[in-house]
Order: sequence, then structure tokens, then C-alpha cells
Amino acid sequence: MQIQSISLSDSLILTLLTLVIYQSAAWAQQKSKFIWLNPLLVTIIVLIPFLLLSKIPYANYRLSTHFLNALLEPAIVALGYPLYLQLQHIKRNWKLLVAILVLGVILVVTLSFSLTMLLIHQKEIAIALSLKSVTTPVGIIITEQLQGDSSITPFAIIIAGFAGGLLGPSWLRFLKIRSDIAAGLSIGAASHVIGSMIISKDNPYQGAYSSVALIICAVLTAFIMPLLMPILSVFFA
Amino acid sequence: MKDIIYTVLTITLCLVLGKLINFSVSGLPASLYGMIIYCLLLQLGLVKPIKVHKTNQWAIKHMGVCFIPAAVGVINHFELIQNHGLTIIGIIFFTTFALLTFVAVLAEKYLANKSESSPSTSNC
Repeated sequence: MQIQSISLSDSLILTLLTLVIYQSAAWAQQKSKFIWLNPLLVTIIVLIPFLLLSKIPYANYRLSTHFLNALLEPAIVALGYPLYLQLQHIKRNWKLLVAILVLGVILVVTLSFSLTMLLIHQKEIAIALSLKSVTTPVGIIITEQLQGDSSITPFAIIIAGFAGGLLGPSWLRFLKIRSDIAAGLSIGAASHVIGSMIISKDNPYQGAYSSVALIICAVLTAFIMPLLMPILSVFFA
Repeated sequence: MKDIIYTVLTITLCLVLGKLINFSVSGLPASLYGMIIYCLLLQLGLVKPIKVHKTNQWAIKHMGVCFIPAAVGVINHFELIQNHGLTIIGIIFFTTFALLTFVAVLAEKYLANKSESSPSTSNC
């Protein structure tokens, strides 16, 4: 693909367009409370046909909106604040709680990576799918660190979010899980912010526990993934 | 306004420190070191939670827009989706429910009866 030079006006227009579409979708979601109006999903669904029709190559779009991508790093640092807030509340059982989440992260990364390598045989995709249970910015940044395909990660994250958020509560009832802590932690670990938003509507206690799980899982995954990846890769070399 | 500048400067400082650590010992991405430093500074009382609260929550609420440039990259993957779309969705569903079940069963067994004060609600 040929990358043309990017003019400042193109860059400004594409960045503004992205912001306007995203903000409109976010506003629509807030007004309607309709969970499927996920602003990230809506923006992508609108932008892709637009780029295809106006024949703007992705590489140009990416360069033009570099400013937004650069904000990803400070955005991740900002997650330190909710991490601090949640740490205040898990002091008593923190060892057990962290141990369960560590095992959960190892399980999901191993399963996702191995299944993808067995069925699709592409390491970049396997890395992206292994990171689908963490919150999006952390998922993207670790995918890039490990040379995975960071355009697949956000989609995998959105699908995992809806799957666990919408079907998770019924599945937990089927498993006879009764406590708010177990329901909240598991949905936060598996379905991050989207799951957390969905269950918070019906039960704020579960929503709060899911926030704890999603932020701690993001940190744990960042530590575990780079250690686990070389070990798993040996089996699929 | 003062609080906004305070928050932006604190986050920038943490990110710069994160970059330095990432540069000298590598390991985690710089932004994750930054996040841990930020959390640590809050925990130690060196950064005042009350001053960062509003700006920080605003940033988290709107951070989704930063993911779009990466996500639109899927435009180059129509072939992959055509060939493996269903397999990918199958893997995501299966592993999501495996994790959900694993954490829920263990937490129900070991954490449910020792329930503590409920944590605060916040989304990020």
C-alpha cells in the first residue's frame, strides 16, 4: 500500500471526524441506555465504509490520527487512579483474591493462545485473542509490545465483553453461583468494562466487584503475558 | 482549572518516569510502569486523590476514542474474517466462559463467606 504524504488539514479533518462520530455514539448510548450502541463499535462500523468509499488507505488514516493514538499512554497511566481506589477495598482477602485472578489469567491466556495456534496457526492473532479479557488500552499496548496484531484485539475485547456481560449472569445462575463477590469478580475478569457496565445496572455490588477484578486483571496480565508467551511459543514452534 | 493542570502534570510525570524505567530495565510497557507509579504516589499520599478525581474520571470516561486508530486496522483483515471469523468468535466465547466459570467457582468457594465491605463503584 502506498503511503501518501499527510497534510495537516487531512489530519485535522480525520481526527475531528473520528471525535465527532465517537462523541455522537457515546451521547446516543448515554441517552438511550442501549448497551449495543458501544461507541467504539459504532465508530468503527461508520468509519470503515467511509474510508473504503473515499479510498483513504488505512496507513494514511493511522498517520493522520496519530494524535489520538498518542493519548493511549497517558490514558493507561490514568487507570492508576481506579486501581488506587479499588485497592482500598480488597485489603482483607487480597492474597486469595489475587491468587484466584492470577490462575484465571494464566488459564485464559494459555487456552486462547493454544486454541488459536491449533486452529488458525497465526501467532499475531493468537496474541491478540489471548488479551481479549483485559480492558482495551492495556490489551492494545501489550499486543503491540509482543508484536501481536493490535487491530484484532479491540474486536476480541468487545465480543468477550458482550458475551460475558449479556449471557454471563444466566450462566452463573446455572452454575448456582449465589454470592455477589463471585459473580462480580468473574464477570469483571472475563468481560472487563462492558460486562461491568451491564451487571452494574441490576446489581451495583456485583458491578463494584467487577471493577476490582477488571483493573487487577489488567495489571496481572501485563506481568504474566510476557513471561508466559515464550513458554507457550515453544509448543507451537 | 488548577486541578486539571495538577492532574495533567502528575500523569505526565508518571509517564516520563515509566519511560525511564522501561528504557533502563524494559519488561513492561512504559505506560504500565507509569500507571503503577501513579497508583503508588496516590497510596503514599504524595498525590492528593481529591485533586485528581474529577479530571481523572473525565479522562477515563472519554478514553475510548484513543482506541479507534488501532481498531480501524481491522479494515486490512477482511480476508482473515472471511476465512476464520467463526473460529475466532468460537475461541473467544469458549475461553471467556472458561474464565468466567473458573473465577466464579473459586471465588464462591473461598471468598463468598468472608465477604468484606463492598468496594466503590467505578468504571474504567
